[in-house]
Amino acid sequence: MPVKKTFLINDLIWIAFAFVVCLGGLKLGFGSFHSPQAGFMPFLAGLLLGTLAIVDLGQGFLRKWERDKSDKVIWADIHWGKLLTTLGVLILYTVLFSTLGFLIGTFFLLLFLYQVMERRSWTTVVIASAVTTVLFYLAFKIGLDSQLPRGFLGF
Amino acid sequence: MDLINHLYLGFAVAFEPLNLFYCFLGVLIGTLVGVLPGLGPVAAMSLLLPATFHTTPVASIIMLAGIYYGAMYGGSTTSILVNIPGEAASVMTCLDGYQMARQGKAGRALGISAFGSFIAGSVGIIGLILIAPPLVDFALKFGPPEYFSLMVLGLTILTFLTSASMIRALMMAAFGLIVGTMGLDNISGLARFTFNIPELLDGVGLVPVVMGLFGISEVLLNIEMKVKREVFTTKVKGLLPTLQDWAQSTGAIIRGTVLGFFLGILPGGGAVIASFVSYAIEKKVSKHPEEFGKGAIQGVAAPEAANNSAAQGAFIPLLTLGIPSNVVMAMLLGALIIHGVTPGPLLLSQHPQLFWGVVVSMYVGNIMLLFLNLPLIGFWVQLLKVPYSILFPLIILFCLLGSYSINNSTTDVAIMLIFGVIGYLMKKISLEAAPMVLAFVLGPMMETALRQSLIKSKGSFSIFFTRPISATCLILAIALMVIPLLPWFRRPGIALESEDVK
Repeated sequence: MPVKKTFLINDLIWIAFAFVVCLGGLKLGFGSFHSPQAGFMPFLAGLLLGTLAIVDLGQGFLRKWERDKSDKVIWADIHWGKLLTTLGVLILYTVLFSTLGFLIGTFFLLLFLYQVMERRSWTTVVIASAVTTVLFYLAFKIGLDSQLPRGFLGF
Repeated sequence: MDLINHLYLGFAVAFEPLNLFYCFLGVLIGTLVGVLPGLGPVAAMSLLLPATFHTTPVASIIMLAGIYYGAMYGGSTTSILVNIPGEAASVMTCLDGYQMARQGKAGRALGISAFGSFIAGSVGIIGLILIAPPLVDFALKFGPPEYFSLMVLGLTILTFLTSASMIRALMMAAFGLIVGTMGLDNISGLARFTFNIPELLDGVGLVPVVMGLFGISEVLLNIEMKVKREVFTTKVKGLLPTLQDWAQSTGAIIRGTVLGFFLGILPGGGAVIASFVSYAIEKKVSKHPEEFGKGAIQGVAAPEAANNSAAQGAFIPLLTLGIPSNVVMAMLLGALIIHGVTPGPLLLSQHPQLFWGVVVSMYVGNIMLLFLNLPLIGFWVQLLKVPYSILFPLIILFCLLGSYSINNSTTDVAIMLIFGVIGYLMKKISLEAAPMVLAFVLGPMMETALRQSLIKSKGSFSIFFTRPISATCLILAIALMVIPLLPWFRRPGIALESEDVK
């Protein structure tokens, strides 16, 4: 059975992450067992994670990842375009949320989200986005008294 | 006599109009999120947590608890009619519930599921009433070593039962512990892993983490693949189970109730595990195991009873020890702390109206759920027809605004997105999010207990093994870690995965 790269990379990432956490823990100060300091728990948790990841990696090589899904099964048939665009739009919304304000930002976000999974007419999408934005505004701003950002236009 | 007085207090609190309203709201939202695939009780509770800031602690806990056990009811509807579990605890209901629907018995499946849930939920509440108060006296004997060991046991049980690979589940728990250390150190006040971001000084918030791992990740998975939904809407009739149905299901309901309740109490247990184990046991004890997976009514009754009684049992460690036994209870712990209530042995004496009010409201909520789920089944079926392409923008928006409105900070939204991506990748390679979240919540408590214990014992780990309660917990935890190494042992998660879960 071939090496399942996904699981190999997964374990290597955890090992590297655990190593960084252990270093961070030592930098914060481990202290001693009778006087543990701020880095005590991060170091121990990092050590545990790293050890387990090494054991998992070893098991993978020994058992040839027989119980795991193959790389092909995990990564096949993914609409990377849709997935990455959605993520990109969500990041953009987060970055511009305070600048654009809730109403404008959310309206444009919904324009995209209502179209991403299923193509609809622009009239429907514009109306649906506007109605949803207003309903959410009423629920969060008026109903729950949330401090939603006004944005550069002041609303 | 004390019990009657307490129940009287509970009824007085639960029947206050405001609390009744929040109870109804909770079970309604719970049923809704249970019915709708893609938004489970954890995400719904985290979404609504900020909304509870404006009300009393009792009303908010009543509502959040209602969401939890309401979702247990609602989840079965989607499992039976669409073959997609509305939430994780209803996975097993799909196996036979959907087959019953295909055979034109959707009404009977929904009926036995609702009645089984009601019976189990009611028995679970009685168990909670009887067990919690005596457990409080026991809990007063707990010091830092006992708390630490019990939390270790809880995490070990969760990793033992939930995942096919215990090592990977433990890795996730370790990751949760690391994330839990972010922010100011409780003892020294030193900033840890905050990367000079002021918002991180208080640590990473539970709501963004949970919404990311359970809400956003689910949406991302649904975007990448199209799930085919076939709803059996025309055959929903005859919701009252027949005498034969009752005869076939009574044993399953009783077994599911008892098993679910005790699995719910176990730290690390919960509704999901209870439903899996009860299905497996029901199949084992059945004279016709070959009928399971082909529309056996016991295969619907047992897991539904188990997940509902587990939902009630799970309140016991939270309300008596202050230790959440699962992710949902962790959310409730967060809600209690936000409202200035410290869960633990003193909760019962310091806030009796909260404890008894919440417990009695669960019974009221169970009755409400029976009416919501049987006469109103047509409404929920209609709701199932809402396409996911309309539903998911609303879920995303709820997650975005829910995270933002806690601290009015886009940092929380960014954290949620990061954990959304992490959760998506974890799901792709079958890494469990539950041990991670539970460890993340328990982490700060575990750290404090560990450090206090070591300071007290002058650095000797023997303190954990010389105290009986602590030693028992640790020995059990070690046993659970060693058992999977035995050559003849087949872990429950693996067995279920290969035999039943398609």
